[in-house]
Amino acid sequence: MTQPPTAPPPTTQPPTAPPPEAGGPAGPGGEHLLAGITALIERVLASVTEVAEAMTAVAAAARAGRRPLRRGDLAALRPLVRQVLARHRGFAAGAGVVLAPDALADAPRCIDWWWADQGIGRLEVDLDPASAEFYDYTTTEWYREPARTGQPCIAGPYVDYICTHKYTFTVSVPVVDDGRFMGVAGADILAGEVERMLLPGLSTLARASGRAVVVSGNGRVIASGTARILPGTVLRPPGPVPRPAGPGAAAGPLPWRLLSGPALPRAVTSPAGLATGGEK
Amino acid sequence: MQRRAHPGPREGAFVAPPALTTVRARTLFTPLDTGGRADTVTRRLAQAIRLGLLLDGERLPAESQLAGQLGVSTVTLREALATLRTMGLVETRRGRGGGSFVRAPDDPGRLERPLRLLSLHELTDIGDHRTAIAGTAARLAAERALPADVTTLREHAERLRGAAALTERRRADARLHIEIAATAQSPRLTREEMDLWSEIGDLVWLPMESMDVAPAARDHDLLIDAIEARAPERAREIAERHVAVETARLLDLRLSLHRG
Repeated sequence: MTQPPTAPPPTTQPPTAPPPEAGGPAGPGGEHLLAGITALIERVLASVTEVAEAMTAVAAAARAGRRPLRRGDLAALRPLVRQVLARHRGFAAGAGVVLAPDALADAPRCIDWWWADQGIGRLEVDLDPASAEFYDYTTTEWYREPARTGQPCIAGPYVDYICTHKYTFTVSVPVVDDGRFMGVAGADILAGEVERMLLPGLSTLARASGRAVVVSGNGRVIASGTARILPGTVLRPPGPVPRPAGPGAAAGPLPWRLLSGPALPRAVTSPAGLATGGEK
Repeated sequence: MQRRAHPGPREGAFVAPPALTTVRARTLFTPLDTGGRADTVTRRLAQAIRLGLLLDGERLPAESQLAGQLGVSTVTLREALATLRTMGLVETRRGRGGGSFVRAPDDPGRLERPLRLLSLHELTDIGDHRTAIAGTAARLAAERALPADVTTLREHAERLRGAAALTERRRADARLHIEIAATAQSPRLTREEMDLWSEIGDLVWLPMESMDVAPAARDHDLLIDAIEARAPERAREIAERHVAVETARLLDLRLSLHRG
């Protein structure tokens, strides 16, 4: 796996501030620790936004020409999607647009998604609701959230057995034309790459303060500086997951949190020693 | 079968992941990656025959043409055809008007043919493998599921309950178990479930006529309840028992084929 050309060197940014005294959001050091990955994901987000804007332009052009939007119109977006995949090679493993049901005149549902590893190929899935293997993308976090909030979203990590076949995040941006939600543009980001960027800083912080983890908005561990809490598990503290107060450890637009210190919610209770007890 | 990379941009050149293989000719003829693909070709053609996409007596295209459509060499295709002949799904006639013909007589035991090819020991072994994967996936899913994951699992369980046709049931069942492995946050367990279901999915719902969906649906509900309750050991036990029941039934069915 190659380092994406746009990646800032994450290993040169260990936390500079003293480790936080006890549990909960990390202090100002967190900003540095998350700065590299935040910048990189923001770049992907900017690319995805470009695709969303291009999609909006395609929809607006059809509307202006008083003709229905068709599947064929999406072909205009593909050079840009290819560019995006090339730009974030090794980091973003898939990208494309996904249409809201009935956004197109000639297809009730449509997914124009492209994956990249050695080459670039089109993702093909069954979109017939009558079929047993129907892939209902409208229920996925990365579609549902932008549809609901009108805001970009970073979904995951989740096991993406449809496209990347890996542990994955999906960045998605709503496509809105003339006030109408038309679908989302998005990109898949490999969770392994995210962890790789976070690990040096996290392990340094964990050595100093006992534990250091980055969790997603819903409490799923994305990366950890200690083997006692593992990626993929859920931190279930007794009570709500602490939210960073003030500038603390919030990763800018990312709904991720850096938590560190000895009083971290316990993540190890099961016999297998991997998961967590207690209600989230 | 898995998604393959192609040397360059090429629209539509995508091979669906296992258990999600679209039952359509377009999928049947989606080009495969080259090299060592005989097993995949065999499986794909066998499935097409079992599902009635290729009809009894139908003449397959000429070898070079069919190989081209599948994107494999004629050597690979011949290897696959030889296996299909052994399975009794294809017959090759020589001479004028010859070629390879589909053999799918509409007999009730037709779907059981793949079961005949498995020994009792092989069936037991598949059961053991499934127990290891499904049991661990269930345990980890119970430890790692978020509320949204549970909702997804319930939707898939509901889909199976409503599935009437054999292929529909097999796919819904496969999908549910794959989702449980995905809920375990393990790409490897997910891959294992996908491989297992593409291998044995045809068998689990045999014989269709006498198969009631209710007991399996009940197991699935209990399993999802345990996952939701974050009871890893209970989830594992239910998943293992579920596999044990299905394996025992297949062993009985396999033995009855001998008596018949």
